[in-house]
Amino acid sequence: MDFQFSPEETKLQQDAAAFCLREIAPGTQVLDGCLPEAACALVRENLKALGAEGLLDTGRAGSGPDMVRHYIAGEEIAKACPATFLSARASVFLCAGAIDLFGTEEQKARYLPSLLKGETVGALAYSEDQAGTDLGGIKTRAVKVGDTWLVSGTKNLVVNAPIADVLLVLALCGEGPENGAMGLFIVEKHAEGLSIGKGAETLGLRGLPMAPLVMDGCVTQGLLGDAGGRGFSQAETLLSLGTVGITALCVGIGTACMELATGHARSRTAFGRRIGLFQDVGFKLADMFAYNDLGRMLGLRAAWGMNQGEPEAPVMGASAKLFASEGAMKIVNWGMQIFAGHGYLSGSGIEKLFRDAKFGEICEGTSEMQRSLIAAAELDRWVRA
Amino acid sequence: MDFSLTREQEMFRDTVFRYARNEVSPLCEEADLKGEFSFDIWRKLGEFGILGLPLPESLGGSGADILTCCLAGEALGHGGVDGGSVLAWGAHTYLCAHNILDFGTEEQKRKYVPKLATGEWIGCMGLTEPGSGSDAASLRTTAVKKGGGYVLNGSKTFITNAPVSDVFVVFANVDHSRRHEGITAFIIEKGTPGLSTGKPFHKLGCRSSATSEVFLEDCEVPGENVLGGEGKGWFIALNGVEWDRCTLLSPLLGAALCNLDLCARYANEREQFGRPIRAFQAVQHRIADIKIFIEACRLAVYRVASAKDRGQMLNPLSAAVSKVYAGDRGFEMASEAVQIFGGYGFMHEYPVERNFRDAKLAAIGGGTSDIMRMIVSRIMLM
Repeated sequence: MDFQFSPEETKLQQDAAAFCLREIAPGTQVLDGCLPEAACALVRENLKALGAEGLLDTGRAGSGPDMVRHYIAGEEIAKACPATFLSARASVFLCAGAIDLFGTEEQKARYLPSLLKGETVGALAYSEDQAGTDLGGIKTRAVKVGDTWLVSGTKNLVVNAPIADVLLVLALCGEGPENGAMGLFIVEKHAEGLSIGKGAETLGLRGLPMAPLVMDGCVTQGLLGDAGGRGFSQAETLLSLGTVGITALCVGIGTACMELATGHARSRTAFGRRIGLFQDVGFKLADMFAYNDLGRMLGLRAAWGMNQGEPEAPVMGASAKLFASEGAMKIVNWGMQIFAGHGYLSGSGIEKLFRDAKFGEICEGTSEMQRSLIAAAELDRWVRA
Repeated sequence: MDFSLTREQEMFRDTVFRYARNEVSPLCEEADLKGEFSFDIWRKLGEFGILGLPLPESLGGSGADILTCCLAGEALGHGGVDGGSVLAWGAHTYLCAHNILDFGTEEQKRKYVPKLATGEWIGCMGLTEPGSGSDAASLRTTAVKKGGGYVLNGSKTFITNAPVSDVFVVFANVDHSRRHEGITAFIIEKGTPGLSTGKPFHKLGCRSSATSEVFLEDCEVPGENVLGGEGKGWFIALNGVEWDRCTLLSPLLGAALCNLDLCARYANEREQFGRPIRAFQAVQHRIADIKIFIEACRLAVYRVASAKDRGQMLNPLSAAVSKVYAGDRGFEMASEAVQIFGGYGFMHEYPVERNFRDAKLAAIGGGTSDIMRMIVSRIMLM
């Protein structure tokens, strides 16, 4: 057992932290207050800058993404700007990652180089009005007309939809008894039959490009990979690996909050002493530290297990996501409490993190879903044969 | 990073687990119920080499590293060995024997370690006093030089193993004006005039460990029984803290694993409203929370152990996180296990009831959760 980063991992962490502090963090509050068009432009710039710095392409371990490096870079980006991290993750991890895992050589050559440099942007569209956590319930359908697959249906909450150059769309594609079979279909922007809806205003992560896709006989570039029917398991694989990125998001938010609150507890005085010296404040800081520390360890543990192909890795990932997302909510609540009235003001930093944090508990498998998944794995060990 | 165990480590853990479940745990219910130290359990642990696990082979131990000691602790707890028995092991092996190994003279090591390694002698460590718990540096026991030795006066309390101990490592101050720099550790043998122990306390949990006061009344201790040199006691006491944050917490991790197994099995078997209670989400979600606690706690505890094995200085933040999480969250999760068992969980014959009582100690002994948060917050505010 060895809990220490390799020298390369340490360097990645330090470089990512320094770059994001300098280049990404200063824009995070601006992004929160931007009108949609300006926000899209800013996020695109951020992705380009991260790509040029090599922080989007965190490498491979075996046949899949290097999840440990993905976590390390991800936490630093998320700490600097949660919305930028989610956009980068949707493009590079969910979209490019899927192409890398499941695509043909031709598809990889066509899309990956520019996605990994941040020059183009990708998206993954799976959730619908009546299907989120219950992915099996999607209604979007692809039909083959001649050599072309045409997709019809509506996807909502698609991260990067307004700025994406290439989108992967999960759709039913089976016929007859294979009615439930799904595939991931490649759709390029400006495709005939594709329209991008208007993004809704959100509680947090404002500035994150997100919108519905409306597809009516939308012309696709075909299936991802060369065989249909695997879309559901491909999406499940992505979302299972994706727990690591959401853990990074939550620990990043938690760490940003902890640093703000610690600074305030040091400088703010009341009743003649620094407020950090009151146990009600100091102990909250300690609990923040513990949640971030443990969340980070769980995230790295899950990531390492995924790199090894450990059978228990999906449960580890679910545990990490659940722990870190609930931890982040506690942390931002304590952070707000330490800042008190000053934290409640827009522009305080804490106020934004307070809104941003909620996303972790509800995205890509709610906390309820994660708990059910973790429990089922334990309970099934004791089912009598 | 590498979170894997070696094949040998896994095999060792599994072997201890089977031994604990088959040979030791059947004795634990009675010991807990009586609230008495069990020499039968002690012998079982000794026969298996547990009592001398980290002590060198040349002195009768097994020469195991700290991670291996944690695996043993985890396996004992998982196998159903009660908190009192593993606490007795911790106080004996780490706080007494290993402190003598780390700080003793060659002669002290030769004299005490081999008999402690087998369990023939039982050891304890006396730091806490009626007036000084968390604030241990303000202890009032005095040691006054007399001839070539010292005369000790004072009293200690909450001393695990004291009523059954042959070897006592006791802290006293040779000069209170020097505060913690005057604190000195002494090895005192049972039967030394002036050394006595009180009646064993009845405790909420960890009931099979014998805990009592230790009285020192004009207790004369020869100079060669100073451990680690005059004024070095505070350093030795802090060394004990390092053990506390890993090896002494590992059985609690094991008890949570024991609870998880029991709860998952029970939830499959117990039926209410015509279906197994595993079908109810409130039950499922408690099981998930216990599982998450185990994974996070394991990482926290093993990180401290792994760093100690590498000879790194104790990271006070990692150590405090380990303690506060195992203590506070561990107790909550032990309570959830009782809840899953409902009325049966409230009954003595189900181990979840005992694990619930035993779990509370981790938030109190060896530095309370409050002290852990104080340490972390002070470092953060520096």
